[in-house]
Amino acid sequence: MKFGKRLKQHVQETLPGWREMYLNYKDLKKLVRLISSSLEIRNSEAEFVYLLNNEIEKFNAFFMEQEEDFIIRHKELQQRIKRANERELLSEGEYEEEMARIRKDIVDFHGEMVLLVNYSNINYTGMAKILKKYDKRTGGLLRLPFIQKVLEQPFFTTELISKLVKECETTIDELFPATVVAEEMNEAAITMVGEGIFRNTVAALMTMKEIRKGSSTQSHFSLPALNLPDTKIIRSCQLNSPIPII
Amino acid sequence: MSSTKETVGHIISSSSGMSANLHYSCVSTDETSSKKDSFISQSSGVLRATAFREYMKENNNTSSWSNDSLSDFLDYAENTRIESSDLQNNDSVGCIMPPPEDIGKPNDWQDWADQLITEDDGVTPNWNEILVDSEPKMEFHTGRSSKTSLSVQVKELVPASPGEACTPSSCGSGSQSKPRMRWTPELHEAFVEAVNKLGGSERATPKGVLKLMKVDGLTIYHVKSHLQKYRTARYKPEPSTEGPSDKKPNPLQDSLTLDLKTSSEITEALRLQVEVQKKLHEQLEIQKNLQLRIEEQGKYLQMIFEKQCKFGIDHIRASSSTQEKSDADVTNEISSSPPKTKTEPDGSSPSAEVLEVDPSESQCSKRAKLNE
Repeated sequence: MKFGKRLKQHVQETLPGWREMYLNYKDLKKLVRLISSSLEIRNSEAEFVYLLNNEIEKFNAFFMEQEEDFIIRHKELQQRIKRANERELLSEGEYEEEMARIRKDIVDFHGEMVLLVNYSNINYTGMAKILKKYDKRTGGLLRLPFIQKVLEQPFFTTELISKLVKECETTIDELFPATVVAEEMNEAAITMVGEGIFRNTVAALMTMKEIRKGSSTQSHFSLPALNLPDTKIIRSCQLNSPIPII
Repeated sequence: MSSTKETVGHIISSSSGMSANLHYSCVSTDETSSKKDSFISQSSGVLRATAFREYMKENNNTSSWSNDSLSDFLDYAENTRIESSDLQNNDSVGCIMPPPEDIGKPNDWQDWADQLITEDDGVTPNWNEILVDSEPKMEFHTGRSSKTSLSVQVKELVPASPGEACTPSSCGSGSQSKPRMRWTPELHEAFVEAVNKLGGSERATPKGVLKLMKVDGLTIYHVKSHLQKYRTARYKPEPSTEGPSDKKPNPLQDSLTLDLKTSSEITEALRLQVEVQKKLHEQLEIQKNLQLRIEEQGKYLQMIFEKQCKFGIDHIRASSSTQEKSDADVTNEISSSPPKTKTEPDGSSPSAEVLEVDPSESQCSKRAKLNE
């Protein structure tokens, strides 16, 4: 139940408003077990599919809602930057303050969007796994056609969000002057990993690594392990990540 | 259906569409050893589906099901078997007995219910217009109904079809889909323009914006909710996160550590944060591409296996005189199917692929049995 544990961990660590929106992996797994041991497999398949479709609806609804929000906020941030640069009445201090606020906001915004892409991916992975389990346990042939359908769903088609993420990165590059980072700066920065969206994104990255670490059923259908570069950032992230209490 | 050994005697009624369902009810009634007439057993098969759905709706609020509820649901479905006379009036279960023709597609009536509900909102979308695929730039579907209102209203509705049903292809996600609105930056631009023309987000009305935008299929409902979001975003810029731990009245001064953070330290922290986030995003994109390719490959392999199976089955069935013909046919089929991935099998030697068929040969034979 490795993925299940990771998913649960991730859900606990994720943004509070998002917790209800993830795949009910554990329950679906139980259902698969129930179905495989019951006599009426064919009858249950329709109901299983019904539940899966419900999950998909849930993902789609949440995803599109968030996407809409992001579109609005993206534009607003750009407006804010424009306004801050245009207003000559602002004193230097006020300008700097506003820019600092904008920087913080845009970085968090970037993070939230990435977390949404992560949300999409985790749920897709979970779906693929549960379908695989279903086929394996019931001898069904549900997985392949069903997953094709999932691939077309709004929640999986994250191109727009990724585009916004990249646009955000461009803006961020403009807002953050490129400087040489002193060692002490880096140390101080690392201590802030425990806060806010930063914490969420680090956690997500770590979870991803764990999920891809090595499956018991590794085949050419599995994802390869995630190799994060052994930089100080990553190492310190691992140190800072909370010890899971299982 | 010969049912001499079954506990239930099946008197097959007039509905022709019921034969598939009879099979299900055959199996289900076995478990309960109750001897009822065919009408009950037919309806019980259907009731299982509808009762299950209702059960799930009721329990879906937290969108996670407890241990008990899972083992209960099968019992629940079993226990909601009702005498035929009570079927029409039974409210406690909240199930509706759909007309026999609908049993094959038990999910459509839910969509029809949705449409009836959204129409009651005073919005009259033109369904035919909306369900046709519109220009790629503006991909949207229509009206959303909240789940809660759905579960309440559905109980009273009889699925006399209002005419148009949501076609799965245009809705994208099969029989369970409800059409949804998907905003794009371009659409939002048009929205902002319209709002500005009307004097700003406070003054603009949904109706006015809708008129100005002149977008096909956009409803006042969509505009209303979007306007609300827009207003929130403007007057409460960047709520950051929703967690209680993240309320920061003055982000520059507040910190969880005891040190006072200088602005350059904060900037560095932000820089680091961006790095991590970029990394995460990069990995996600890689992962998604891999997943897509895996599925594509799977699809292709499946196609090959099926052709092999067909070849195998034809081979078994065919007499020796036609054997060479089917060999040639399949060889032609395989070599003519364009491989989409880089792993190109040698089309001229089907025997090589037959060896790999083993893992999914069981699948092929399953398929064959299902098709019979």
